[in-house]
Amino acid sequence: MKKMLNAFKKYFADFGTAVAKGDIWCKLSLLVMGAGYWGRKQIVKGIIMTVLEVVVLLFTGLFSINYIKDLGTLGTVQYEAKFDPLTMKNTVNDYDNSLLILLYGIVGIIVIVAFILLYISNMKAVYRLQLMKENGEHINSFREDLKELINGKFYVTLLTLPSIGVILMNIVPILFMSCVAFTNYDIDHMPPNYLFTWTGLSNFKNMFTGGATITFSYAFIRILAWTMIWAVTATFTTFIGGILLAKLINHQNTYFKKVWRALFVVTIAIPQFVTLLLVSKMFSDHGIVNTWCSNLGLTSFLRDAGVISGNFIPFLSKPGWSHVMIILINIWVGVPYQMLTATGILMNIPTDQLESARIDGANKWQIFWKITMPYILFICGPSLIQSVIANINNFNVIYLLTSGTATANMAFANSNAKETDLLITWLFTLTNDNSNYKMASVIGIISFVICALLTLLSYSRMIKGDKEEVYQ
Amino acid sequence: MKKKVLSVLLVASMVASMTACGSSKNNEGTTANTDTKTEETAQTESTASADDAIANLIAATDGTVDITLWCSELEAYQNVMKDLTEKFKQQYSDVDFNINIGAVSEADAKDKILEDIDAAADVFVFADDQVNDLVNAGALQEVATTYTYDPTKTNSFATVEAASKDGKLYAYPLTASNGYFLYYDSSIFSDEDVASWEALTAKAEEAGKKVGCDIANGWYLYGFFAGAGCELTMNEDNSNNCDWNNATGLAVAKSIENITSSPAFVSVADADAIPMLQDGDLAAYVSGTWNTASFEEQYGDGYAACKLPTFDVDGTATQMGSYAGYKFVGVNSHAKNAGWSMLLAEYLTNEESQLAIGQATSEGPANTEAAKQIDSPALAALAAQSEFADQQVVGNQFWDPAKALGQNLVDGASDLQAVLDDAVSGITQPVAE
Amino acid sequence: MTAKRKANIIIRHIVLAFLAFIWLVPVVWLIVTSLSTVKGVSGKHFFPEHWTLANYNQLFFQTDTAANFPAWFKNTFIVAIFTCIISSVFVLMVSYAFSCMRFKGRKQLMSFSIILGMFPGVLSMIAVYFVLKMLGLTDSLVGLIFVYSAGSGLGFLILKGFFDTIPASLREAARLEGASEATIFTRIIIPLSKPMIVYTVINSFLGPWMDFVMARIMIKSKDSADWTVAIGLYNLLQKTLVGDYFSVFCAGGVMIAIPISILFVVMQKFYVEGVTGGAVKG
Repeated sequence: MKKMLNAFKKYFADFGTAVAKGDIWCKLSLLVMGAGYWGRKQIVKGIIMTVLEVVVLLFTGLFSINYIKDLGTLGTVQYEAKFDPLTMKNTVNDYDNSLLILLYGIVGIIVIVAFILLYISNMKAVYRLQLMKENGEHINSFREDLKELINGKFYVTLLTLPSIGVILMNIVPILFMSCVAFTNYDIDHMPPNYLFTWTGLSNFKNMFTGGATITFSYAFIRILAWTMIWAVTATFTTFIGGILLAKLINHQNTYFKKVWRALFVVTIAIPQFVTLLLVSKMFSDHGIVNTWCSNLGLTSFLRDAGVISGNFIPFLSKPGWSHVMIILINIWVGVPYQMLTATGILMNIPTDQLESARIDGANKWQIFWKITMPYILFICGPSLIQSVIANINNFNVIYLLTSGTATANMAFANSNAKETDLLITWLFTLTNDNSNYKMASVIGIISFVICALLTLLSYSRMIKGDKEEVYQ
Repeated sequence: MKKKVLSVLLVASMVASMTACGSSKNNEGTTANTDTKTEETAQTESTASADDAIANLIAATDGTVDITLWCSELEAYQNVMKDLTEKFKQQYSDVDFNINIGAVSEADAKDKILEDIDAAADVFVFADDQVNDLVNAGALQEVATTYTYDPTKTNSFATVEAASKDGKLYAYPLTASNGYFLYYDSSIFSDEDVASWEALTAKAEEAGKKVGCDIANGWYLYGFFAGAGCELTMNEDNSNNCDWNNATGLAVAKSIENITSSPAFVSVADADAIPMLQDGDLAAYVSGTWNTASFEEQYGDGYAACKLPTFDVDGTATQMGSYAGYKFVGVNSHAKNAGWSMLLAEYLTNEESQLAIGQATSEGPANTEAAKQIDSPALAALAAQSEFADQQVVGNQFWDPAKALGQNLVDGASDLQAVLDDAVSGITQPVAE
Repeated sequence: MTAKRKANIIIRHIVLAFLAFIWLVPVVWLIVTSLSTVKGVSGKHFFPEHWTLANYNQLFFQTDTAANFPAWFKNTFIVAIFTCIISSVFVLMVSYAFSCMRFKGRKQLMSFSIILGMFPGVLSMIAVYFVLKMLGLTDSLVGLIFVYSAGSGLGFLILKGFFDTIPASLREAARLEGASEATIFTRIIIPLSKPMIVYTVINSFLGPWMDFVMARIMIKSKDSADWTVAIGLYNLLQKTLVGDYFSVFCAGGVMIAIPISILFVVMQKFYVEGVTGGAVKG
């Protein structure tokens, strides 16, 4: 923490030095960013910098400033249109669009922040050039600068485009949706015709304490619990299933290994939404599986046993049943993937350990549980946590299997949820069917925090980088 | 350093693309090879006295007029709309139109429009239950002035009423047949059988067939409670009033549980009902004109339709109520060519067009004259049901609790009073600030 | 061969056959339904009573406003090709920078990227749509390519793990001979990582075929010729269409599955190496 603070201080101190001790070219750079380069004969670089400066100033001055200045209120002028029956045209007032104000405001601020950083490093760079000149060091020509970009500074070249993509596709949307959690953006405040505005923490209050919507907290606790149970169970069932299947196929006693593997791999090749929709039709209340079960007498057996009340088995339509079915179907979906992964891992198990265990007289199961599994767990630890996170956000399986069913639990219904919902499907229903963006954003932030914590947990080892040098 | 440079460059290009993004692409929609079911109705005698306004509009229009039209994804609908827009183009042959027809189910129109009103169609067909939300969101252009005909005079009063909010007309009535009634196979059920749910389920048990109604859906569930005189209304602020947990409501709930407890009764939505029908299981089902073709095909000579059955409330046979359903043509308040969009909407809903649509899609026109010229068992059933049907005025908080209530009744919940109390408190919960 | 071993072999194959049977039931149902004369879902018969190829004929040659498979296939194919090129390149670039280069703020940037990738895409969907709209890219294939590939740099973990296993001495040697970083990247590292690259390419190629959530929001056009396979097929199952198009939907599912299955079976070896490459050694 202190280190960071010092680095921070140094950052601005350097800037101060550059401004204070810079010569005329440096000082000129405060106004025209390219000036410092021109003074050292780096004409092209200077032009690029200056053009950039102009572009950013124009962008901010002509475009984004209009949105940034309204960020505090998210707009005050509501849409009004007047229809003129003679010209048959609508006259529309100069209205504010809260959504665009928020979005463009965020973009505008990002541009300004980026520009300030650029501006500061530009000053430092220009000052560095001055020092180099004074010391009579070699100053790069433009061509040499370009060369540096594919060599020492190659990472800049590599990271630029992906970073821009990530800023647009991830950072801006995330900032936007996080802000929405603090507004009243819902069906009654829909831009462009209506404004939404900041409401502070009231959405969070509603989520955790009842509040106006009576039961959000009720549904939230239960959905959160099921999300966690689901994520852990789904991950481990498919993981273990995959390893067992891989063991089965890769055993020396198994013939036609490739054929078996291909048979399972075929199920991966069909897009998930196709298979899941298909399976949901098969297991629907009046679907083919129910027909089989009643032909076999299973339905009437279960009814006599008091397990079910209707004349069908509610595979996907009753809580309990559907929870189990979802996990089973997920095994069906996930095991072939895991089988492929496990195949690769099993091939790489150090054989000397297995050998020595065998010599010590351990039987196959002992070897499997004492050596193979720990090894696999060690190797797959991080990727297991990664798939727990993926399962927390596993939209497809839950949504496609259960979107057509109704809950009988009034408290869930009152908050537009049902028992089998995950946080992610709940927030999808809230936005898609109920335009309740504010609550959906709250849920999104919460699940983001959970996932981020899990990630930090699992990757702290990796991020610290104590392993990456081992093999290099 | 260079990274930042480039990100700023990108911003520059963004500015460029924002200013440069002019008209969006409008490629000709690949439409199906329509075996043109042209209606040999009398050729349009183009309105003799074209209004000054229209003349002005034509004079003021230069370049191509782009209009997007959303209507049902069913092929019959798409084809007839294609024909009608062609005729519309002929009527205003001085103007160059590019009319793009998209497929959006009337039931989903609201959701698709509210995703982004600016990007939604200029003219769209939607179901009457969405009027309230669409008006609230400001998505509908008010029908303040009309140019070629007066929709309030030519269409049935109920449709005009349903297309209005606070005394203002917001859409052009198109069909009056979006409600529900009972389809049945007359080779199995007699007229007496279909008169009441009790008789219907008894006969179905006997015949080893199924009868169905989507009870776990507020839209249909309403029919039972409304039939017995229970109340469900909407307040100014879009919250609901509901008294389904009173003594009558309890009796209704008991009666529904009695019906659903029959092994012959299934509570299934359309998506499950049609497969059951095609497998020959489903002999009677509560649905609407959108499924006519399937039932006609399956029941063959036995195909029949009638008003909804009665059900037993405390020993008296009570007629089931229903929601009357209508389809409207709406104009997007953010349409780029408001004038032409309104003229197109008017054209699509005039008597002649309504007739053509009715003939092509087996729906009943909202236009009273056109309605007289189309007759079918389904429309007769709707007409018989109409005196028990109400206009749908209900806030959004109704649907999910009502769905759960229906599911409870299907499951045979035992503590009905508690279930009803819960449902009513959910339905009537205040609308969040 | 002992009797015990024989029994083991037999049991083993019986179990495998049983499992394969379970795994293949839905696949078989998909195929036979696509050959059925019944247009809707059947809750009674697994195998159709009458067989026909009409659904495939309809899929390819009788396009209508609801089903326009050739156009969907073309759109998806274009999107998938560009997406897989762009995102593979992005992933390679980011992985190399994080694994093989050392610069200030590298670890912070890495942690930041990993956490960023945790944000549920479904939530930011609406915002992504408006970003696209701001760029004027909605309703276009370019927009879809952008959506699928722009953020792909965040998926660097596996490949970086693999790059970490390539001995640094290799790069050192090349550097001593005067090779630039760019040369090392393209001439040494990339050829060494073929299986991983195949894995990355396959994964990013498959994305557009499978996604219906994002695509449905980004493509506002309701003209079926503008859709991707996933939007189109998903649309066929809405309640008014499912009765008439279910078997066509199945035929469409089969038609996507065939090329992808072939891809998978052929690339299986690479895929297996790829999927584990990062984990095993890194």
